[in-house]
Amino acid sequence: MPVTDDDRATRPSAPADPLRKEGDETGPSKPDVERPDRSDLLKRMKRVDPDQARRYRQRSGQ
Amino acid sequence: MPLFGIETEYGIAVDGRGAGDLVTESRAVVRAYAGKAAGPWYYKGEDPRNDMRGFHVDKLNFDPNDAQFDAPGQKPLPVEEERADRVLVNGARLYNDHGHPEYSTPECSSLLDLVAHDKAGEKVVLACAKARSEQNGASPVHIFKNNTDYHGSSYGTHENYLIPRATPFSQLLSGLLPFFATRILYTGAGKLGIEPNGDKGLYQISQRADFFTEEASVDTLHRRPLVNTRDEPHADPREWRRLHVICGDANMSEYATALKIGTMYLVTSLLETGWQPWVKLKSPTEAIKQISRDQTHKWLVSDESGTISGIDVQRVYLAAAKEKLAGRGYDTDWTLREWERTLDTLESDPLSLGDRLDWVAKRGLLSDYVESEGIGWDDETLPSFDLAYSNIDPDEGLYYALEQAGEMVRLTDDGTVNAAMTQAPMNTRAAIRGHLINTFNDSIGVVGWNRVVLRTADESWMVALDDYLTPDSVVQAMGGLKTAHSVEDLIRHFRERGK
Repeated sequence: MPVTDDDRATRPSAPADPLRKEGDETGPSKPDVERPDRSDLLKRMKRVDPDQARRYRQRSGQ
Repeated sequence: MPLFGIETEYGIAVDGRGAGDLVTESRAVVRAYAGKAAGPWYYKGEDPRNDMRGFHVDKLNFDPNDAQFDAPGQKPLPVEEERADRVLVNGARLYNDHGHPEYSTPECSSLLDLVAHDKAGEKVVLACAKARSEQNGASPVHIFKNNTDYHGSSYGTHENYLIPRATPFSQLLSGLLPFFATRILYTGAGKLGIEPNGDKGLYQISQRADFFTEEASVDTLHRRPLVNTRDEPHADPREWRRLHVICGDANMSEYATALKIGTMYLVTSLLETGWQPWVKLKSPTEAIKQISRDQTHKWLVSDESGTISGIDVQRVYLAAAKEKLAGRGYDTDWTLREWERTLDTLESDPLSLGDRLDWVAKRGLLSDYVESEGIGWDDETLPSFDLAYSNIDPDEGLYYALEQAGEMVRLTDDGTVNAAMTQAPMNTRAAIRGHLINTFNDSIGVVGWNRVVLRTADESWMVALDDYLTPDSVVQAMGGLKTAHSVEDLIRHFRERGK
């Protein structure tokens, strides 16, 4: 296997690659949305069955 | 060209059913897949007992505790019926792996493609679970992308990397052990408690670290190794190995998935050049547990000359990758940049990485809940919230609550993920597999990673996908395949080219 990944040359150009925007050297960042209210997350947590992990049994996998 | 993929064994819970029912229930979930698919799987092409160290074992070890869930005297079904394989038009494989719906992504050659296909797998399995839940007599099915049941049973999220056979296995082993023991710093999905019978209130970085007792072995079900020695290349064995990595965690975070695969891609590239890390850990299987459980976040482990931090072990690999691979291509440079940024931040302010690393994000959620409810970390209800983080239903899961709240970095988007449910990567052999399934579905005999058997009334023809490992070869082949209007045309096309 060659140590170049020139596959970029053959990679489809669309959709635009969100791993980095043009001219952006700062890397990925949180989505540009209004800072959420953490209380919404706690509401979702209140809906979790607090007993589900005790019942949760799985077959051993790989 | 890199070629990699991810296999995820999903956790499954069915209201009113126990672990003894999960093989049947998992099979029913897979069978509920409503899209176009082909099968059965080409099992003749597989041999999980073949060891890269040059021998073949008579049998694989099984977890003795798992036998309690087998009904006495129950005869195993034929493998095709038991596993219920569906090979999808996007080139992926969906099947029942011993009580877990498993989704294996198609082969990908870019990080973005793989992240999209990993997320597409979640959507495919969730759709199956919902369809199964709506069947007459069925109970609601819940699916989790995690690796433990908190009672001592683990199941895998495996990575696969195609690498040249010329790279000696001994060099892979020595080069990978320090890396695998320490990469959980950014690949860990977080877990409450130590299994099987440890401190239930200790939050650790990795879901899987508790389950590795061997450095190298062909086994995957019991006495699991950090480096799996299974020699099953799914390509020309004279030229290729498939590095089957079983020690990773299931990541919900797109960023963590990309960093996990990207760093491995760079490390395998380094090892292919003959490079070796100077660091040797005294006990990699102990080191991964120490790092996972270290509440000080110093992550110190023993090496041959004393003590070293897990971050510094990672920096050994990063420095070599920067020196030898920088500028090689887009994914390489993204990985180098994000790897360094992540290690720097792990050193200075690890808990600020909650928007991209699963273990940090989950820790933040649990911490908030502990504080708001005034409970301890050893509260018996808390593992249920750990489990809920990995619920793949966007209306139920806590990871998705974070994502919907804009708290998580995304590298892809819903449109790309939805497209990946039915479209193979355009530049890997998965495109050929997917096209054959989509266009000549009624003529598919069996399907595997590197074989598709076509059948007509008069003959069978095995299409060998081994020859299509470069983007050019795939694009060229696809151009020819699209001109075939019947399976007879298609077989003629392959016959003329000696394929």
